[in-house]
Amino acid sequence: MADNTLIPDVVDPLTKKKKSKKPPTTRRGKEERVRYWVRSAIVLSITAVVMLPLYYIFVSTFKTQTEMALKPFALPESWSLSNYVTVFTTLPVGQAFLNTLIVTVTAVFLQVFIGSLAAYGMILRKSWFTAAVGSILLIGFTIPVQATLIPVYRLGAKLDLTNSLLGLVIVYMGSSVFCYFLIVGYMRKLPMELIEAARIDGAGPWTIYWRIVLPLIRPILTTVVVFQTLATWNDFLWPNILLVSNDKRTIVLQVFNAISEFTTDWPLFMTITVIALVPVMVFFVFTQRWIVAGLISGSVKG
Amino acid sequence: MATATSPQTVAPGGKPAKVRKDRSRTFWDKLYSTAFIMPIMIVFIALTVIPLIQTFYFSLTDYNGSSQEIHFVGFQNYSEVLASSELSQGLYFTLLFAFMHTIFTTVLAIPLAVTLNKRFFMRNFSRSMFFFLGVPSMAILGLVWRYIFSPLPNGAFNQLLGIFGAEPQPWLADATMAQWAIIFVSVWAGVGWHATLYIAYLQAIPGDLYEQAQIDGASSRQQFFHITLPQLVPAIVVSTFLLMTGGLKVYDMPFAMTGGGPGYATNTVTQSIVIQGVAQSQWGIGSALGVMFMLASLVVVMLQMFAARLISQRFA
Repeated sequence: MADNTLIPDVVDPLTKKKKSKKPPTTRRGKEERVRYWVRSAIVLSITAVVMLPLYYIFVSTFKTQTEMALKPFALPESWSLSNYVTVFTTLPVGQAFLNTLIVTVTAVFLQVFIGSLAAYGMILRKSWFTAAVGSILLIGFTIPVQATLIPVYRLGAKLDLTNSLLGLVIVYMGSSVFCYFLIVGYMRKLPMELIEAARIDGAGPWTIYWRIVLPLIRPILTTVVVFQTLATWNDFLWPNILLVSNDKRTIVLQVFNAISEFTTDWPLFMTITVIALVPVMVFFVFTQRWIVAGLISGSVKG
Repeated sequence: MATATSPQTVAPGGKPAKVRKDRSRTFWDKLYSTAFIMPIMIVFIALTVIPLIQTFYFSLTDYNGSSQEIHFVGFQNYSEVLASSELSQGLYFTLLFAFMHTIFTTVLAIPLAVTLNKRFFMRNFSRSMFFFLGVPSMAILGLVWRYIFSPLPNGAFNQLLGIFGAEPQPWLADATMAQWAIIFVSVWAGVGWHATLYIAYLQAIPGDLYEQAQIDGASSRQQFFHITLPQLVPAIVVSTFLLMTGGLKVYDMPFAMTGGGPGYATNTVTQSIVIQGVAQSQWGIGSALGVMFMLASLVVVMLQMFAARLISQRFA
């Protein structure tokens, strides 16, 4: 992970020179080199303190209850995997992962599809209608989830969609509006000549959307997909409200449930936590570039 | 790919291409554009507009989810929310959380970003680690901290304090301590994420500003306050906006750490609405709370945008 450059900075703002990987070795650089290592020591110790909880979670998964209680921060006496075996055999972890995967993939696909389709529809022509839709969506965007929670839950109950993954996906489709906003801002910057040219060649709107617009907006699509995947995967509110039975739980809800399952067995609880964090960690390692890009591009527009 | 002309196609003669379009094409554009917008409108009306109207309506009735008769009770639900210590406590804690979370995260994220932007050993690793804390589910991190803050002497945090000779504290059993513990944990999780945002803006600051300042003999402190901070104003506006709107919606972290306790000290609005609306079927009261909170957060967010505009003008 260390090699994964978070933000590639080419030029040092102070010297305007390309940065070398190694501390400077010139005479004047001597003082600078000392400062470099002092700074490294300070920052790395702060990092270590902040990361202590993650270390604590990880080492606890190899300990027994007594060992964890007596020496919480020591390395385990033996790296026994028995906690992992227990978690996998007592809880439907695989099922929970599968549920989360199904919900996340379906929901994110629908959100991005609906959002990008609407964004394309909006730039296809300008009229009072598109202007009205744009401002209505903007107003709706600012409404907090608390204000619509009860009726949405009621709707789910009415349609018999509680305790179903489909219900969860439908609720998450509301985030299409968020996707639409990120995408439409990017789409407005596209050169319309390309779309116009395709039209003259006889391509229909659908073909243009699928073959030209979507490939052109790939950067923002990647960002939106990464963000929405994290948000959907990590969501706790809706699974907690909608899902009841054991076999329907998402992974976050399953971890939550484990707290009653392993009331006093902290190592077992830390083990399921680690299991739940692994996919997020892997996802993070591969996508952090785009998360950062999204942070920046999303924020420029405010 | 970029052209000198405006993004809109311009026909020969400088007139917009619109004029050139024949009728059938305009018709197809209209049809397709409307068809493409339809799905999002359906989703939006079904999941936001209708529920919002229903919330307003329920908030004025005694509807409890099962009875057939619905009585109009005026603003009774609203006064009930204000009178109930449990519900008004939720309003109070949510606002406290949103403000404190925003302030502390910002105050810590800016120096962190400045530091992480300097050269040091294993920089990318440190950056990634800080950033990673904002990625996992807040519910899961909250649960872990519930164990770390265990009131027992063998709780991790109490043991750590024990090394320094401090007495074990009932972290999550005392109202004030629990509130601050939750704020602490969410700042811990969020500060790296926001520092990353600031780093992106820091790297856009032109280097000659610092060069000039150095020639003029400005200390690094002066450089920070007179160059870095003003240049970061756009980032501050964005970051605090995200923190505030996110803070007002908070649910996972407090619920995971304390379940709303002790008493109702760390109850959030979302949690109250879930309890009232889903668990106890008090739709009217839950809806009134939702409406009140929507108005409260509207005021907070508008005030914040107003303040942001003032500050931006001052430094722009």
